[in-house]
Amino acid sequence: MSDIEIEIDDKKYSAKPDQMVIQVADAAGIYIPRFCYHKHLRVAANCRMCLVEVEKSPKTLPACATPVTPGMKIFTKSPKAIAAQKAVMEFLLINHPLDCPICDQGGECELQDLAMGFGSSHSCYEEGKRSVKDQNLGPLIATDMTRCIQCTRCVRFGEEIAGLCELGATGRGENLEIGTYVERTMQSEMSGNIIDVCPVGALTSKPFRFTARAWELDQFPSIAPHDCVGSNIFIHTRGGEVMRVVPRENETINQTWISDRDRFSYEGLTANRVAEPHIRIDGKLKSTDWQRALEFAVLKLQNSLEKKGANELAALISPNSTLEEFYLFQKLLRQLGCDNIDHRLRQIDFSDSFFPRANFSLAELEESDGILLIGSHLQMEQPLAAVRVRKAFLKGAAIAAINPVDFRFSFSLKEKNIIAPHHLVNALAGVAKSLCEMNSKSIPEFLKNSSVSETDKKIAMCLFSKKNNFILLGALAMNHPEAALIRALADFISEMTHARVIHFTEGCNATGAYLADVIPKKGMNVSQLLADPRKIYLLFNVEAEDVANPAAFTHALSQAECVISLSTFKNELLEKYADVILPVAPFSETSGTFVNVCGEWQSFKGVAKSFDESRPGWKILRVMGNLFQADGFEYESSEEVLSSLREESRLSEESRLSCQRKLASSAFKKDTGCHLSQKTLGWHDNMLSRIGEIPAYSTDAIVRRSEPLQKIQNENGLAAARLHSHTAHELKIKEEMIITIKQNQTEIKLPVKIDDRIAKQAIYIPAGIPETNSLSELFGKVEIKI
Amino acid sequence: MRRLFKLIKTFSLWELLMGLMLTVKYFFKSKVTVQYPEERTPNSPRFRGIHALRRYPNGEERCIACKLCEAVCPALAITIEAEPREDGTRRTTSYEIDLFKCVYCGLCEESCPVDSIVLTRFDDYHITQRGQNILTKEKLLAIGDRYEEDLAKDRAEDARYR
Repeated sequence: MSDIEIEIDDKKYSAKPDQMVIQVADAAGIYIPRFCYHKHLRVAANCRMCLVEVEKSPKTLPACATPVTPGMKIFTKSPKAIAAQKAVMEFLLINHPLDCPICDQGGECELQDLAMGFGSSHSCYEEGKRSVKDQNLGPLIATDMTRCIQCTRCVRFGEEIAGLCELGATGRGENLEIGTYVERTMQSEMSGNIIDVCPVGALTSKPFRFTARAWELDQFPSIAPHDCVGSNIFIHTRGGEVMRVVPRENETINQTWISDRDRFSYEGLTANRVAEPHIRIDGKLKSTDWQRALEFAVLKLQNSLEKKGANELAALISPNSTLEEFYLFQKLLRQLGCDNIDHRLRQIDFSDSFFPRANFSLAELEESDGILLIGSHLQMEQPLAAVRVRKAFLKGAAIAAINPVDFRFSFSLKEKNIIAPHHLVNALAGVAKSLCEMNSKSIPEFLKNSSVSETDKKIAMCLFSKKNNFILLGALAMNHPEAALIRALADFISEMTHARVIHFTEGCNATGAYLADVIPKKGMNVSQLLADPRKIYLLFNVEAEDVANPAAFTHALSQAECVISLSTFKNELLEKYADVILPVAPFSETSGTFVNVCGEWQSFKGVAKSFDESRPGWKILRVMGNLFQADGFEYESSEEVLSSLREESRLSEESRLSCQRKLASSAFKKDTGCHLSQKTLGWHDNMLSRIGEIPAYSTDAIVRRSEPLQKIQNENGLAAARLHSHTAHELKIKEEMIITIKQNQTEIKLPVKIDDRIAKQAIYIPAGIPETNSLSELFGKVEIKI
Repeated sequence: MRRLFKLIKTFSLWELLMGLMLTVKYFFKSKVTVQYPEERTPNSPRFRGIHALRRYPNGEERCIACKLCEAVCPALAITIEAEPREDGTRRTTSYEIDLFKCVYCGLCEESCPVDSIVLTRFDDYHITQRGQNILTKEKLLAIGDRYEEDLAKDRAEDARYR
């Protein structure tokens, strides 16, 4: 369609035929006042604030709902337009309370701003104002519904973006009210966005409530550190203290939204922090100054290395660290002769080598025709990727899932196979085989024995003969004991269907960790390091909740002779076993870079003042390098670290991408049958296997300390063993029973909840929460005693 | 001739008498000097002295932590911390005025939507120790409680000009 020409305020602009007047005006920088219009939401045209004069139209027209026509002449500031806008403003203000001084939106309120421009100084209205009862929407959102001007942005956000119609409008005219109808906590993982969308103070942030004013805050760009999408955020600080987090627009990544996890995790930033460096003298942990602590740490490490050798050193780093920290960490350790470095803390299967970077933008998910989710709770793990998948769904994409739990998604699944973890590979092989049959290709040797069920065929149909397919692997696939096989099968399916694969890694910077080589080249990986405990541990922000096997981690630390931990937060386990604890600044207090799953390098600056004695991780590692007299540790800024990393990784990045598939399929060929690997795991078909998901608000140390998010998580009663009613019947278990769960010599007691969303032959026991911390691996055989 | 006049003027102490005339004149005029501190000069209800935080007649503090005074203060003398009180209302947890910074312009009073922060007529106070220059919320409320009657009267008197 060719562009058409329109005239706004006597100036000519070209527009696309399907555009609305307000879109053209926005692009041209002409401001038209509005309340209900939002560029990422459907047009509602119910606030009437954007009325403009259009030539030959007897009445003013709403700019947000008037499509452009050739030769259209629009006047946004003519007396007629201004008069119409003023009249609308007067109507809006009739029922709006004059409580700006106690309203949290005061100072950043769209209604307040426009009342300054279009409101009159006094009101002609003398009748009683309406008032509306407040809603309790849970621990994240505070409401003051009397202030609502019924723009319905929040309702449309729920319907269109979050895919969960939690808010709605009841009543008509003056009696129209926005609410949940039945009072309940908002369940959406993106609910915080309605705070930004609301043009008035009807919906505000509860944790931020009354603590600061918009004009007191300094705004700094940053990157959200909780998932591999890498949402862009603004951190608002006051006096060097983080007050709140709001989204920063980035069309290719998060548009104008962020998840609740990214928005409210800041509450955990200052809770429970390590204030000063600590060293253990005569069995007691004492606080000391940096100089002494660093010298002590280096001396201790040197002595232990001389005694035990570099192979006894295990170095683990959180996948949420910055690229600079990764780089210096591995550089230091490699210079010490140690290759036992790993960041893949929750993974178990390392038999293939792969590189998680996808070489396309997440926005391309929107255009897909078929999507297959494998072991992915996309909605909670990467909420912003789920937004894209929902958009694809609304455009008619067929979405299928092979999951151990029938998770709630903001899109409906065309086909699903809810299956216990130990059957996951079989199910995937079934899909692969039926795709072979559909494509009338010869079935490869390793798929000969696989059986194909009706569900497998239906799932295959979702991807078959579509142009634009995607396969998304989530945490439950990545952390699966047969992850390499799952990846190889995913690659095989992607070859069959021309699908693109996205490996949604855990942590915000796993791609960066691969780029910086924070994986063992010849040394031992994380599960070997914990299964076969070493004598020296160097930990960088690693807590028991972060590893696949917390029981083994605890045991490993207890027997180690030297434990040096660089940690942001206090941790009982580390306080018990660590010889040195060095306080590291979290992402808000350090400069650094995160690389998201699409390979975008996003750098950010430190915005908050450092908490007590804590220091940026790259600085600590740099000084440690100097004390070890290692080469190439003369960095003065994090940018210097980054540029030297860039130089080293520039060549390797492309070669990594190309070798990804080759290595993965060779790993698959070695096994030549899906059951073979299960034998080494000691699995059999009729066992009860654990589904060890990490709940969304337990994924990393910051989130685990954020009070409002923990409140939401606890409302859902996570500390329970969930079973399908069928499984429960077979095991003669009833709801609310307390059962003993046994897994590899570890035991815990948990109440039972019957939940038919869980696959048969499986038991859902979340990890990463204190109640289940003494259990071992996330997946595997579980025995139950009543 | 002129020299003769000057001589007479000098020897008759004319200038001195003229000066004494003024003294005598003021001696019989009504007095303006007051016996401070027992007596005080009268001042306007708009007088801008030390600050106070007022309460409503039911004892509830007026301040709602809107922070407009903090924003308007040209000397950045006001510092406010706020959070929801137990009953969910918006209140300050600390309200401090630095008297060394304050220029007594009265903009805080003018910006206050609830007539909470006011300037009293009381202007003679002293600071002997470091730290006394900070008026905390407790002090401000205490001043307000002490002069509430006068404050209310002054505001009422000035109300028609506002």
